[in-house]
Amino acid sequence: MEAIACEIESGYAWSEQQRVGCAVGGVYTALAIERVLPIMHCGPGCEGNIDSVMARTNGGQNADTYFESVIPSTNFCEADVVFGGQERLRKLVDDSLRFYDADMFIIIDGCTAEIVGDDIEEVARGFEDARVPVLFASLPGFKGNNLWGHSQILSAIIDQYLPAQAGVINPKQVNVLGVVPFYDTFWAATLEKLENTLRELGLEPNIIYGRRHGLANLDKIPNAGFNLVLSPWVDIDIAQKLESKYGTPFLHYPAVPAGPTETAKFIRAVTEYAGLDRIKAEHYIREAEERYYYYVNRSIRWIFTCRVQPKEFYINSSAVQALSLTRFLVNDLGFIPRRIFINENVPEEHHGTIREYFKELELDDPESIEIIFTADGGLCDQYVKSEDTTFRKTVVLGTTWDELTAKVLRIPFVPVSAPYGDVIVGLKTYFGYDGGLALMTDIYNDAANKGMGTVN
Amino acid sequence: MAIDLRQTESETREQRLGSITGYDGTLEDLTSRGCAGCLKNKLRDFQTVSSCAHHHAINQLAGLDGTLVVDHAPIGCAGAQIGFSVAKNRLPMAPGDPPLEHAKVVSSGIDEADTIFGAIEKLKSTVRDAYRRHKPQEIYVTTSCTSAVIGEDVYSAVLELREELGIPVEIASGEGLRSKIWASGFDSYSHAVSKVRFGKPEKKNNTINYLGFAPSGRQFVDPLFERLGLEVICLTAGATREDFQRATMSVASWGQCSSQSNYICSVLEQEYGVRYLQTHLPYGGIGFERFFRDLGELTGKADIAEQVIAEEKAKYSEQIEALKSKLTGKRALVALGSGFAFEYTRVLGELGIDVVHTIAYHYDPVLDQNNIDSDLAVVADVKELKLNLDVSVNDAQEMETNLLMKRYNPDFLLSRGHEAAAWAYRQGIPAMDSEIGFVIMGYRGLVEFGTTLVELLGNTNFVRKFGARYRSPFTREYENLNPFSFYRKEEAM
Ligand code: SF4
Repeated sequence: MEAIACEIESGYAWSEQQRVGCAVGGVYTALAIERVLPIMHCGPGCEGNIDSVMARTNGGQNADTYFESVIPSTNFCEADVVFGGQERLRKLVDDSLRFYDADMFIIIDGCTAEIVGDDIEEVARGFEDARVPVLFASLPGFKGNNLWGHSQILSAIIDQYLPAQAGVINPKQVNVLGVVPFYDTFWAATLEKLENTLRELGLEPNIIYGRRHGLANLDKIPNAGFNLVLSPWVDIDIAQKLESKYGTPFLHYPAVPAGPTETAKFIRAVTEYAGLDRIKAEHYIREAEERYYYYVNRSIRWIFTCRVQPKEFYINSSAVQALSLTRFLVNDLGFIPRRIFINENVPEEHHGTIREYFKELELDDPESIEIIFTADGGLCDQYVKSEDTTFRKTVVLGTTWDELTAKVLRIPFVPVSAPYGDVIVGLKTYFGYDGGLALMTDIYNDAANKGMGTVN
Repeated sequence: MAIDLRQTESETREQRLGSITGYDGTLEDLTSRGCAGCLKNKLRDFQTVSSCAHHHAINQLAGLDGTLVVDHAPIGCAGAQIGFSVAKNRLPMAPGDPPLEHAKVVSSGIDEADTIFGAIEKLKSTVRDAYRRHKPQEIYVTTSCTSAVIGEDVYSAVLELREELGIPVEIASGEGLRSKIWASGFDSYSHAVSKVRFGKPEKKNNTINYLGFAPSGRQFVDPLFERLGLEVICLTAGATREDFQRATMSVASWGQCSSQSNYICSVLEQEYGVRYLQTHLPYGGIGFERFFRDLGELTGKADIAEQVIAEEKAKYSEQIEALKSKLTGKRALVALGSGFAFEYTRVLGELGIDVVHTIAYHYDPVLDQNNIDSDLAVVADVKELKLNLDVSVNDAQEMETNLLMKRYNPDFLLSRGHEAAAWAYRQGIPAMDSEIGFVIMGYRGLVEFGTTLVELLGNTNFVRKFGARYRSPFTREYENLNPFSFYRKEEAM
């Protein structure tokens, strides 16, 4: 434990157990928009390196329209260091326009092209008259992680593609931001369910990622009545950008609600902000809560008969999952947080506000919760392995890196963020009322399977 | 060409062996150009993403027992290691094996300021901290595109840390930009680990070395080697320092394929006189017979070898005939790494399947072996079995492979690891990613493989219905291209 303490004090920059991709991971934000294709000016392996942590080993995901293997790439090589790779890139874009029936191309570059000073903006400008938009975004890995890359891609779309002025504003339209496609393993199902919920409340949600969305939805962005940011810090910059470009106000809700308490709070917040029908919203909440507790009740005998109860948890995850799931576990399931690790290298300016969000918990002393911001995914592991859990009924929520530790120590575990695991995620999400039930199920099942099951 | 372990780093495959990633023609033509430099590489103007040497150097090093890898790179470059760590921990465990652990890969996290001011101090403190946290037996420092382009003197740091920590600290260079062939990363791993783990052999033992990714399936083959009085040492994921030391005392080595295994096998032959059996790989029945005969001769137990061959053949002949009756005449397209592409071409032929085209992800016209008199495995097949067909070489260039799938419209595709199977399914063609290593060795392996194929083709409802929904996201111009349209006009080295 001493070693851990001095590591934290020394503010080290290294990391292990990678839970983020580098900036190039932003290409997944492009790939999540139907028929948008990135063109990479990168080394031959850069895509593969982000792919594993963000897609393949993150719940068995792959891109939809264009599988990863057909992403055009210059495969930057030694000769390009000497002579520059700009000409080769130009030729590649030219060929790509001929071969891919995409609606938009985004040229991106990685570390090496950036260091040798290839100018992708100039290359993109050369294609201003192409049959579809050709954008550019610099994504060198040494500048940031995939969340930074995500922001670069969205900024590129706003700056280079969206019109200077909004059209006719549709007050009911809400653009949904904050959920990062692919990186958030549950993104697809979360957005589908969220879309339904918002629609039932009387809004017209505009979601750019996933099935049947695409450029038509990008085009609608400027005309929204408001933007909704569902995350503690990601995409706030994008909402601010849209506010200054189109004057679109935004509602910032820091968690993706899971379970009845938080979901009700979220619905009320949206209803209030957008001036929606309160009676309808309350009716929705009442009905959904009743259904939630109906299903809880159907398993209550199994959960509370001759079983040791998991109670205390570590979470080692992205900021949004850490906050959203902590709120559910504390407020609805009655668990107690042991330590919370947020491992996506959150910019320091957001640390204070995120700590505040964790105080909104129905606990006697929410101030005492230990929240650790780090880029080092392996730090939590050090704690879990070295702390005495003899008398505690501990659960770990995290990534498949943590899964092995939990397996060896026989601690119940549930994957909740990237890299989720070498399994397929399907339609899983912990969003909303059903999401709460799903997480409850996963925790109790793994506890039983790990032998925390029946009392002796 | 001899390998020089005194060099800091290994040379790339292009430099050492004249290996290529672009070719189309026939197998006979390809294999007739067997000298480094005799085979002209075809470069492509249009390319898609591929894979990188760096990544493969790290995953091999981190898979060994007791190692820790410090990746001197920005955070992203080690992002794919989780996939390997998970795979490693799913390998079957034997009694007495150490508890499961993740691969230990630490990134020094080169950032923007470091690209201007350098990051050697950061690297050193990363190595020290990582050592303190994990207490590994060995540390390997991998270099990256970025550390190379900003001109980091990693080797000096490595020497300093070796002194300071008192454990082996070694450099493994595998910058993705140096080689188009990801197998060059296997060489970086091999070079580094050879320097650290091999030492003077004390004697000769009745052991044989197997080089490969994983020891999966060894239970099927151990008894065969025991008949020749040989114990198999697996220099695979999980291999210990002791395994490597014992390997220098073996009578022979062979590898899962020439891409992953040839460097270490060559070092063992060159430095310690451990014979490298590289001409006949033991896959399928034909491969096994030739391999086992060679081994019988080498160990002076030719009669026992013949006996084992006859027994194995008899044991599985009925099953093989049954499989052949179901598979004969089926048409296959193969897209695999350069070693397995041609091995599987032969094995498919043994089951009566017509391989219409084979794609290799790269091609080495020669290997590093000392015993130059022995042929490459694929050359042996051309000479001994008159194997010939249309072949091409592309480094997982899926846009090219897709056009080949379209041209040949095979009954199924056999591939592994680089998404060709996913594209095949999407377009309504059944496909499977193949097993490698012990599992497909010998007649038993042939039956296992053949059974999987029969299952694959036994019910194609899923692929038919899924494939029917496919709408090409490409242009008509692309769909009408000749598959070999992406080459740069002038052929270059
Ligand atoms: S960090 Fe740089 S070199 Fe490494 S994968 Fe990312 S873009 Fe490529």
